[in-house]
Amino acid sequence: MGFENLLANVPIPKEIQDAVLKINTSVDSPLFAVVGDLSLSGNYGDSALFVYNDRMIAVDESYEGGGDVILFDDIADIKVKRMYGNAVLKVEDSHGARRDIIRFTYSVADVCDSAALFIEKVKAGEDAEETLEIVRSTYKNLRSFCPKCGRKLASPDADCLNCEGKSKIINKFAKYIKPQVGTLLGCLFLSIFTTVMALIPPYITGYMVDKVLPNRDAQKLLFVILILFSVYILQFTVSGIRAYFLRLAGDKIIIDLKSDIFAKAQYLPMRFYDKTSTGSVINRINGDTAVLQSFMLRISQEAVVQAFTLVGVICIMLLMDWRLTLLSLIPVPIVIFCGRYFGKKIAPMYRRLWRRGTSLYTILADTVPGIRVIKAFTSEKRTISRFQRYSDDWLKEDKIAAKTASAFPSIITFLITCGSLIIWFIGGNWVITGSGGATTGLLVSFISYAAMFYAPVNFFANLSDSYQSALASAEKILDIINAEPENDFGKGNKPERIKGKIEFCNVNFSFDRSKKTLEDINISIDPGDVVGIVGTTGAGKSTLVNLLLRYYDDYEGEILVDGINIKEIDSEFYRDNIGYVQQEPMMFRDTIFNNIAYSNPDAHVEQVLNAADIANAHGFISRLPDSYDTMLGERGTGLSGGERQRLSIARAVLKNPSILVFDEATAAVDSETEHLIQESIDRLIRGRTTLMIAHRLSTLRRANKIIVVDKGRVVEFGTPDELLAMKGKYHKLIQIQSMSDKAREIKEAENLEISIG
Amino acid sequence: MTSRRYIDGSEVRITPNDGIFVDVEFYGGLKIEMLEPKRLFPISGLSKYITLLDSDGNEAAIIRSVDSLLPDSKKTILRCLEEYYMIPKISRLISRTEKFRIWLWTVETDRGIHTFEIINHITSIKTLYDGRILIKDASDNRYEIPDIYALDRRSQKLIMPDI
Repeated sequence: MGFENLLANVPIPKEIQDAVLKINTSVDSPLFAVVGDLSLSGNYGDSALFVYNDRMIAVDESYEGGGDVILFDDIADIKVKRMYGNAVLKVEDSHGARRDIIRFTYSVADVCDSAALFIEKVKAGEDAEETLEIVRSTYKNLRSFCPKCGRKLASPDADCLNCEGKSKIINKFAKYIKPQVGTLLGCLFLSIFTTVMALIPPYITGYMVDKVLPNRDAQKLLFVILILFSVYILQFTVSGIRAYFLRLAGDKIIIDLKSDIFAKAQYLPMRFYDKTSTGSVINRINGDTAVLQSFMLRISQEAVVQAFTLVGVICIMLLMDWRLTLLSLIPVPIVIFCGRYFGKKIAPMYRRLWRRGTSLYTILADTVPGIRVIKAFTSEKRTISRFQRYSDDWLKEDKIAAKTASAFPSIITFLITCGSLIIWFIGGNWVITGSGGATTGLLVSFISYAAMFYAPVNFFANLSDSYQSALASAEKILDIINAEPENDFGKGNKPERIKGKIEFCNVNFSFDRSKKTLEDINISIDPGDVVGIVGTTGAGKSTLVNLLLRYYDDYEGEILVDGINIKEIDSEFYRDNIGYVQQEPMMFRDTIFNNIAYSNPDAHVEQVLNAADIANAHGFISRLPDSYDTMLGERGTGLSGGERQRLSIARAVLKNPSILVFDEATAAVDSETEHLIQESIDRLIRGRTTLMIAHRLSTLRRANKIIVVDKGRVVEFGTPDELLAMKGKYHKLIQIQSMSDKAREIKEAENLEISIG
Repeated sequence: MTSRRYIDGSEVRITPNDGIFVDVEFYGGLKIEMLEPKRLFPISGLSKYITLLDSDGNEAAIIRSVDSLLPDSKKTILRCLEEYYMIPKISRLISRTEKFRIWLWTVETDRGIHTFEIINHITSIKTLYDGRILIKDASDNRYEIPDIYALDRRSQKLIMPDI
């Protein structure tokens, strides 16, 4: 039996190979294997499951002889029982006795699911080779590992971030500087000019002290002062011009960077937003780009200028007096050592500070849009105290970072001052005793140069601070820039037209590995069908349509539209052909006209009016003072829920899609509004394949097919009459719904009477 | 809404059934078999409010506090919870390497040595107010550091930037 080419989730460890060879006495080879990572007792260790045509072999240290053979014929039921952070493959035999076969973490749960499904299907008489395809597709999903470093990739064809060269990362940021290279080089030239200008005054000062003042030459003094004046005029004028262009270049860099991050954020998959808070994304686009911009300018400008100053000053100092120059170098190693030490110490502090800052942003992003809820529940005090708590956390971290960040520059400045004192002491003695050939003028101008020399030393020593801060920000920005965008395997592949046949084939999906959200979904919907999707809350109805909309792509199995795998269709084209009306439609801060035309910005005015008319929205819009020019507040404030819903339907009408999806579109409105919305829906769905997640009977009556979803599985599928005759879940739901509809009608009639009375 | 049945202590006897399932016998005579104990607060309240679910996921009763149960019943429930909730407790960080936002941790836990990946350390590592640190790896497995200050200095140094 060869293990090299065996379908397995990870290479099979030698001990497992030996164990299975000892147990397996027949000559046939297993079809696939699952290598587990826990022992049955719950400790980390190797275990495995080898699946054959008619049996499976489980390997675990707790089995006598290292393993056990279980024949499919002896299995009455097999399933994966997911627990918390671990799962077991459970088998029930024909006598009702249950036992755990292998135990594993969530890392292995998906492949074990497909193993259980395989055994279930083969036992039910399905063809083993065909069923094996399901297993292969699970393994394919799982096998998205980098061949170089072995780490898991975001998708099977994604680049490995781990193996991506450092230069590529640098290029990612360098590309924002490139367009401004001309301006930056100009600024650099101006900086060098101002630096050269700055080197002149100390020399002239020395000359003044030694030659002009002792000789009491007033004419020479005026001449020297005029030279100094001219130097200062040039230096500060050029410096002002440079600052203007530098700011301009910096602003352009930051705008480009922000725009790119924002654009990238639009194409990130839903999974990214499931795990990342809005506040965190806003913080990255706003705060982190600013930190990075400042650092990029420091590196591209100041660092060069400071290096130039450093070399220039050292040269002049050496020319003036090499002995004093060496003395002034004494503090340099200590400054460099302190800089490195500080860098290491401050980096984790900045990271922690960033985390606390993001928490604050997250509260803001949560509470400001939710101010109505806060007021409704009078939870202002609670919200303030929560914000205060997080602010205190931030302050606590900031205090720790501030101690180090503030102490360091003072220590450096102190060391530098000590350097000046050494020069004063030794050079001063030379001047007093007349030894060493030093003059007062030389000492004065040397001290000035020494101060200029320590400035770049100080700059480079402190650079680690801004470097660490920029690194923390760059990491967060890279999190977005490097995140895998939505997959578009079928880019450019646009079928002539979408007729609207939809098929789900063996679809399994989970948001995280702790729970299967959809399991073994197999349905076929014909073009023009109106399909009601019903089920209890959390049954998986919305997930079903989310997969159809390609919000999540990492499911097992296939979803076909007109016989084509939806992953093979250009995603932009595909979504253009689907109209989606949500339960809580999202409106933007814009005019009503633009909100409707959002689905088709090139639409003619009359097309928009017509769409609004079909959606029963034209009436209420035309009664508004500003009609179609009415500016909506954030998220559509200023309109009722039913009005927003009708605008959302108008959007869908304008899009003219082949497939329509309604996610409980009438769930949150009264009967009268529902009637208006239903009318508009009726007009919209004609001739289009329509999926309606619905609770209300009025909506379901329009459906010619019903899907009943329960605990992630399709438990009933057929025409309403067929399902009613089955007297199953659908029948029960209809009964409950009829009762609640009646109750609602009575209540609404009572309310009407009261308000009339 | 049906009224919720709370278990306060000695009014029940809980005996083990299959694996993580238990049978609950009320002293009034009612016996419910094959119930699955699950924590209602798996992070913030480990021994309080344990729900008992039947095979359809319907709640049969809630134990207010495990500590109030009879010793044998308490032992049975704790064993089931221990079996169900696998949150290895990290006692040492052997290595923590990072390259371009993917962290590879090798840790020593109460269940042995294990290596796992963290894709996003910002959302995957959470510090609770009681000082515990919860970690979720790339496969949604959970880990816990009960007290960061009980770890050796090297482990602390490795983790500090992430919390």
